[in-house]
Amino acid sequence: MNQKYQIHPVLKVIFTFSLVILLSFSHNFAFVMTILVYTLFSLSLMKGNQILAILKISLWVSLFTFIILLPSNKYSSVMITVKVFTTVTTINMLPHSTKWSSITGAFKFFNIPDIFILVLDIAIKYIVMLGNHALQLIWALKLRSIGKNRDKYQSLSGIAGNLFIKSVEMSKEMYSAMECRGFNGKYITLEKKRLSMVDLLYMLIHIGIVILFFYIGKIVE
Amino acid sequence: MHIPDNYLSPSTCAVMSAAMVPVWVVSVKKVKKGITKTNIPILGIGAAFSFLLMMLNIPLPGGTTGHAVGGTLLAILSGPYAACISVSIALLIQALLFGDGGILAFGANCFNMAFILPFLGYFIYKFIKDRIPTEKGELFGILIGSYVGLNMAALSTAIIFGIQPILFKNPEGIPLYSPYPLSVSIPAMTIPHLLVAGVVEALFTAAIFSFIKKVSPGMIYQGREQKTKAVYALIVLLICLTPLGLLATGTAWGEWGVDEIKDVISGGNQPLGFTPQGMENGFTFNSILPDYTLSGLPDIAAYILSAVAGTSIFLILFKVIAAFKKETFDKNSKLPSE
Amino acid sequence: MIEINDVSYSYLGIRALSHISIKIEAGEAVAIMGPNGSGKSTLLKLINGLIFPDTGCYRFQGQEITENQLQDPIFAKKFHQKIGFVFQNSDTQLFCADVYDEIAFGPRQMGLSESEIGKRVNDLLELMQLDAFHHRSPYHLSGGEKRKVAIACVLSMNPEVLVLDEPINELDPRTQRWLVDFLIRLNKSGKTLITSTHNLELVPEISTRSILFDENHGILADMQTQKMLLNTDLLIKANLVDEYYHIHDGEDHVHFHDHIF
Repeated sequence: MNQKYQIHPVLKVIFTFSLVILLSFSHNFAFVMTILVYTLFSLSLMKGNQILAILKISLWVSLFTFIILLPSNKYSSVMITVKVFTTVTTINMLPHSTKWSSITGAFKFFNIPDIFILVLDIAIKYIVMLGNHALQLIWALKLRSIGKNRDKYQSLSGIAGNLFIKSVEMSKEMYSAMECRGFNGKYITLEKKRLSMVDLLYMLIHIGIVILFFYIGKIVE
Repeated sequence: MHIPDNYLSPSTCAVMSAAMVPVWVVSVKKVKKGITKTNIPILGIGAAFSFLLMMLNIPLPGGTTGHAVGGTLLAILSGPYAACISVSIALLIQALLFGDGGILAFGANCFNMAFILPFLGYFIYKFIKDRIPTEKGELFGILIGSYVGLNMAALSTAIIFGIQPILFKNPEGIPLYSPYPLSVSIPAMTIPHLLVAGVVEALFTAAIFSFIKKVSPGMIYQGREQKTKAVYALIVLLICLTPLGLLATGTAWGEWGVDEIKDVISGGNQPLGFTPQGMENGFTFNSILPDYTLSGLPDIAAYILSAVAGTSIFLILFKVIAAFKKETFDKNSKLPSE
Repeated sequence: MIEINDVSYSYLGIRALSHISIKIEAGEAVAIMGPNGSGKSTLLKLINGLIFPDTGCYRFQGQEITENQLQDPIFAKKFHQKIGFVFQNSDTQLFCADVYDEIAFGPRQMGLSESEIGKRVNDLLELMQLDAFHHRSPYHLSGGEKRKVAIACVLSMNPEVLVLDEPINELDPRTQRWLVDFLIRLNKSGKTLITSTHNLELVPEISTRSILFDENHGILADMQTQKMLLNTDLLIKANLVDEYYHIHDGEDHVHFHDHIF
């Protein structure tokens, strides 16, 4: 969502998870469809390239699910596919609409240990870097292996081992750099932010969804 | 091996997560105590590594994927507790940012890949290494440990999948979650892992380990002499946990008594492919919103819902097309850095 | 301000510093020179409290810096605020999602308010001519821009001492010039500068005093930079240059000859 409509990250994390849980519990098709529409609606508020990135994943996952479940029965294949699509889309909207540092801040709010957040943080930072490094090394290997290279697999393990050792050294230095700038292994909670009108609206919608879950459950029984 | 959301019942997810909580707590405690501050980044690197390894996956029938995890390797390099944290984080990133593996199923995925795999793999490695204290013994331990670790994790995933249709169905006997019974899920999961993924994992683990040992031997975790008891305890624990999970899910759900399970199991052996005619609300799924109405919702509500859906889908389509155009337009400015 | 007394340090059984004694006063501009692997980086790490002497002692503003001391989070924060370290490899130093967060990281750890942080970051971005980079990811910057951001992250904490490990390396000539001028300005404004470098051309500009390491990880000389550059025998002894090295007219102009002939 736009910078303007920034919703408090703690609320976002809580309600995203609650939505996923309700979806998983629900056996009512009407409720699942309502959530699907709500998800599509929120998705439509995002930027085009973000929508594209999110849909790429959720459509692929749902298609896969649908094909896998096709031979079973119609209930499973349709219901589970819709649930999978909605869940994956909802989850993917979270990182696309919230800054990573806000999400780690929200984790801290839920009392997740610092060591977990730290490892998470470092892993995220290194995935991109390691991926790029690995790619470069593979290119270098390709360039050097003219014709048939029987030891390719041997070289691959060398690449991976090298990468590991190198990145461990780099990450240690990164940790020293963090220490030099006053980090001592403790994450800080998010700055206390006042709840805005948008936050309240967001809360109302999600409380509405929870009520709907129980209400629909009742009429069906 | 990543279980997506909605393939497992929420109660299964809850049980698996509950099983993981003490594992995580102990792991964090052990790691905090046993690791110097400057070594913490290694856990992050381990997670990033495992993440990349798990990206190279092949889809398997049954709704899951086959791939190496590197859990045993991490356990050998930085200890099983650190490996547990690293793999959990890798799984969390995949679930949160890449839609690979569910959020609710996160506990179950961690149980298989961040608990069973690294601990079992490490203990087997240590057990063999301590018995055959030669270079060859160590290599043998690594191969067996990582191979067995990965395959046990696959088996555990298959069991979790396979008990779903036994435990959770609606009154008409139609499974509510993953519809394939154990007789389908176990071969579907284990065969590709036994033949391909396990071999990849074992070779990869052995190759990288030998490389690191040659180049930077100081990096390898020096665990205490493994007591035989610990291995047995772990195996017993694992054996206990599986049926415990089964029972707990059953009682938590509260629908199946012990005597009922028998009927349920016989029901599970029915051939797949039942029709949804017996469904409560009797709606067919030919069209998702037939005539803009949805049973269980008042007509007006259903109508509004359809309208919102239509508008949203149009907006999405429009924006996606615009994004496509823009992407081709400024492709050069968007190239990632080298 | 900085007092290093007979310090030795080894890592994995390999000697990195051997009986080092240095005293640096506030406001000085000191260059650390020496061949590769002579212990320059190790010394800078020691000064920044990232490693600790095996023997001997290190005092900063009269206070001995030990591992135990830095376990105290309040002391550690104060210490790291006073002394800033620009790493040799900018990539390891930049770890946040965008440039703004990167520069704000230090002040946030210090517990400043977001509005105060915003002011500092914006001032620095302007000063370093990085205005347009606010929300760019540090990974996607050029080498020179990365170095600038790395320096900005350190300056945002307003340190008294600035330690730079090979800051001029791998920069294009224009950025080198800019950085040298910037460092001179910082020193004039009262900041203590400690810089490690091999760049004999620029060393007289960024330092008045030079400390020369030899290959045995000890200090070979500690004197005025100008004098050191003229003492070719000393530089050869440290294995920093070979016999083709010379200086024209005693000016700070040095060039290197092709070794083919």
